[in-house]
Amino acid sequence: MRTNLKVVDNSGAKRVMCIQALKGKKGARLGDTIIASVKEAQPRGKVKKGEVVYCVVVRAAMPRGRCDGSEIKFDDNAVVLVNKQGEPIGTRVFGPVPHELRKKKLVKILTLAEHIA
Amino acid sequence: MLGVARLLTSRLNHTFALSTSRLSLLLGSSSSSRGLSSGGVRSKVEAVLNLEEVKKVLSDLRAEDIQIIPVKSQCEWTDFMVIATGTSTWHVRNIAQALIHKVKQKQKGAERLLLPSVQGHEGGNWVVIDSGNVIVHALDEKARSYYKLESLWLTEMAPKGPNQDLEKALNTSASPYTLGYRPLNISSQ
Repeated sequence: MRTNLKVVDNSGAKRVMCIQALKGKKGARLGDTIIASVKEAQPRGKVKKGEVVYCVVVRAAMPRGRCDGSEIKFDDNAVVLVNKQGEPIGTRVFGPVPHELRKKKLVKILTLAEHIA
Repeated sequence: MLGVARLLTSRLNHTFALSTSRLSLLLGSSSSSRGLSSGGVRSKVEAVLNLEEVKKVLSDLRAEDIQIIPVKSQCEWTDFMVIATGTSTWHVRNIAQALIHKVKQKQKGAERLLLPSVQGHEGGNWVVIDSGNVIVHALDEKARSYYKLESLWLTEMAPKGPNQDLEKALNTSASPYTLGYRPLNISSQ
């Protein structure tokens, strides 16, 4: 709740603030979907400031353990805007995204991503 | 600014889990595939869809504008991307169902089915079928022109060779420093 996240696709939003984590009592982690409110947006984008949108967390500063024992953590918290059915609103995703998205059935975001960590 | 990923220990080759069964049971289960000669990796590839079957199924269904992009050089998580257009949402969902049906037919008689995961089936806009080496995208016309997947994978992710801009800048600059010479700094003269 109230976490400021960076938006890394070209949907028009720049910063969003989380208002609800959809799964998990302790909050959303890498690969989870959240509901967020757009705090800052580009003037001609697909979303406007103040809109409530669904997002998928693609980078998180909290380390996430992988099944082979390693951990992955990023320098920032970043998010990709999605619609309710899970389709990404933007058409390109910038920056690295982790492999965890494949297991979470978010292959669409992986195909639009430019680099996979 | 790019977020930097830090891996605390070295990452081994990642094992992706497909939707229903576990990969560790592959050697024993699929009795339909005869080519189990060379061990675990070979049987993993045969148990799910491969490229020729995908091509055949898509052409049988009369999917339009089928494009196959080998992305082995650019991307580590998959080998081939197949993009196909469906005429309507029903057609797109039908493509997904036909591919799953093909996989089920192939694995008839096995005690566990290893099905590729399907994403986006309810929307009907863009359905992705993830079967390991091959990823099939079934879109409709509007989605295809919106996301422009071919231009993404063919041109924008083109192999990042030696940085041409940097080389050009170094070669065309007139300063003697860039050509490898350094003027002698002889203070006596």
